[in-house]
Amino acid sequence: MRKLAATIALGAVLATVAVGQSDHNNIDAGRPLRFDDASSIAFRERALEIGLSLSTFRRTAPTYGLRAEYKVGFAKNQDIGITFDPRIGGGDRRLDLGNVEIAYFNALSREINDSPALAYRVELGLPTGRGSRGVDAKLRGIATRALGQYDKLHLNLDIDVASDPHPDERRVAFGAILGYSRPIGYPRRFDQTMVAEFAVQQGRTKGEGYVGTVGLGLRCQMDPRSVFDIGIESDIMSTGRATKSPFRFAIGYSVGF
Amino acid sequence: MIAITILGLSLFSTLSPAQDVRDVAKQTSLPSLPKDMPSWIESTGADHLFYKAAPYNWSINRIPKFARDMYATGVGHAMAYEALVRGQAPTLETKTFDSINWVLNHAPRLPVDEGAISPTFMRRYGYLEKVFDWAHLLHFQTIDTFSYPGWTDEQKEAEIERLWAFYSSQPYAITGLPMNMDYLDSFLYSGKFRTDYPKVNGLFWGYHWLQTVNYDMLYRVPVRDHAPQYEVLGERYHETELYKTDRDFMPMTAEMSPRFARRFPQIANAFDNLHMLHDNVNDILAQPSLSESQKQEQVKIAIYRVLASSHKDEKPGEGAENTLHDHRHPPSMPGMGWMKGSEEDIMWMSGMGWMDMSECSHCSISMPEGNPWGATVSAEGWTMMVRCLMCARDMAGETPGRAIIRASTNDPNRLLVLISDEEGNWTTNIKEVVFLEKFGEHPECSGWSRAFTTIGALERYVAANPEFKDTKPLKLAEWAALNHGTPDTYRKIDKPNPYKSGGGVPPPVSKGGRT
Repeated sequence: MRKLAATIALGAVLATVAVGQSDHNNIDAGRPLRFDDASSIAFRERALEIGLSLSTFRRTAPTYGLRAEYKVGFAKNQDIGITFDPRIGGGDRRLDLGNVEIAYFNALSREINDSPALAYRVELGLPTGRGSRGVDAKLRGIATRALGQYDKLHLNLDIDVASDPHPDERRVAFGAILGYSRPIGYPRRFDQTMVAEFAVQQGRTKGEGYVGTVGLGLRCQMDPRSVFDIGIESDIMSTGRATKSPFRFAIGYSVGF
Repeated sequence: MIAITILGLSLFSTLSPAQDVRDVAKQTSLPSLPKDMPSWIESTGADHLFYKAAPYNWSINRIPKFARDMYATGVGHAMAYEALVRGQAPTLETKTFDSINWVLNHAPRLPVDEGAISPTFMRRYGYLEKVFDWAHLLHFQTIDTFSYPGWTDEQKEAEIERLWAFYSSQPYAITGLPMNMDYLDSFLYSGKFRTDYPKVNGLFWGYHWLQTVNYDMLYRVPVRDHAPQYEVLGERYHETELYKTDRDFMPMTAEMSPRFARRFPQIANAFDNLHMLHDNVNDILAQPSLSESQKQEQVKIAIYRVLASSHKDEKPGEGAENTLHDHRHPPSMPGMGWMKGSEEDIMWMSGMGWMDMSECSHCSISMPEGNPWGATVSAEGWTMMVRCLMCARDMAGETPGRAIIRASTNDPNRLLVLISDEEGNWTTNIKEVVFLEKFGEHPECSGWSRAFTTIGALERYVAANPEFKDTKPLKLAEWAALNHGTPDTYRKIDKPNPYKSGGGVPPPVSKGGRT
């Protein structure tokens, strides 16, 4: 755990000396909640998003995670990224390097009049994690639209596909998230956005049903280049034998350069 | 599942729409969309662009008060545009004014996202925001370059040229050609905003003053001397410039930062064209007789007028007069378009009257060609070029309030910055500065009125110019105590204010600029 904390601290230090811009209004999955808005990073921007997570469970030890994503805006409205998501804890308290994910994000359109902004994200999870096999693919459709003046809703619909599932795993799982964001402090402050979500995710193990999750978070602009985020989630309902996490905590730092 | 996704997104898109402004009767004599409108205007992408990666980015924060004031300017147009498109025009001069004014006086410590402040406006005019955002990045990166302590002036100037090329590479780039400002301000809707909403327009033009006056504060001025100058300019900005409602026209870059505008005319022109686009958009949105679709169309036409792509292969100083392609400029100022009533170098400057930009503002003698460029005087919100330090001092002395003099010295890499208090006491950025002043004929004043960085430099100058061998070198206090008043060569141009004589009078046909 100390190594993990040291790695996060080093990452934060490196991030603060980079030059660039991240935006508290631009919401990405994991920072701090699960949903994306339909906006890519800017063309020519590079971004580093680092976060620490803690997940608690009723019957096993908590899990600690360090998620780091590096993204490049390689074209207008499009970015690619690579994510490392090592974890430690759970039943055996062993380190799991997790799957390395490669992602492509395409913001198809911005909000125009009453039409929502639309985007999709494709992720390929390479089997680098403990016990992983095959390639996991995830397709996420994203829509963002205004609700009133400053409030925004973000609908994410997910399909997860495992190319080589274990015998007790589903090949395909579905999920949906309704996210909400609202800047805090207008018209006097312009550096904070509150985020909330309600997510439903089908369990990957056969026989598991759906888990319903609520989350609440805050994104704060720290300087022109970086954003600090903090959030909590709780699984409030489940069907079948799905495992619930009563409390998940995420804290992170994003920097554009 | 894909079908479910599409269905979900479609349902999502039918949620209750945002508030609409009411449609009004269409006008018939408005300009129509040109046939060669650039295709990107119809692009549905957000098309966000990142700024040029460089070590100087955000160096503006080295001048904290200035940085915060600049960040605050991001809210003004955004709040006003949002109010206008949401049908809140009746409260623009009260509630919206108060909101903008509060932010301008409690400036944020970080840049603000204009699009996030004006989401309704963004949904309708997202293509316009691309033009604004890209130009605003140029604004900030040029300021950052000048504020960066790690480079020489030459390196900074080279980088500014690269920034201009970087900016120009995008289709949203505004032309760096001088544009006929009178033409750009001559449409049916022109002047509507400033007439109906003078207080908010005053704020806009007030911070356009800030956005243009800063360049001479920064350009070729040592980094450590930026903040002291901003003490004077910032005070002026907050106390006076933001609340002026009697300007005849928006502040022009060449009026506020003439040295910068001469050196980088394409950037000065682009900023003026950008600010003119802001004015056009203000006027269009404030015109209640236009329907929403007419406003959309007129905003697109306004964008088209100032885009670099609309003026491809055209040259400064050329083009049919009093048209969209009129790129005349005052012969001695390539960084400014043709203004209402201008004749060659003579133009009307708000607060100053008619001025000849080819002449010293104090003694009316022609400015010397090339270097030394003499000095500039900033006081009471204006910045004027003068031939020599004597004219600078005496002009500042004739003007109430604090003043800044920026003057060349014997060392082309050391610029003298003098700042006065209310009583006319001067402080200097060069401790050892020494002055030579042997009062004589004004046409030769740049020879006998000079500043030197050291006594040794002055002695070398005197050795090379023996006519000054009996002239006593003056320390700052001795020099500051002198005053020769208004020179007898001064020529006041006595003509009426062109902005008060009917408004619709076309500018006179005159050559102007390079032909």
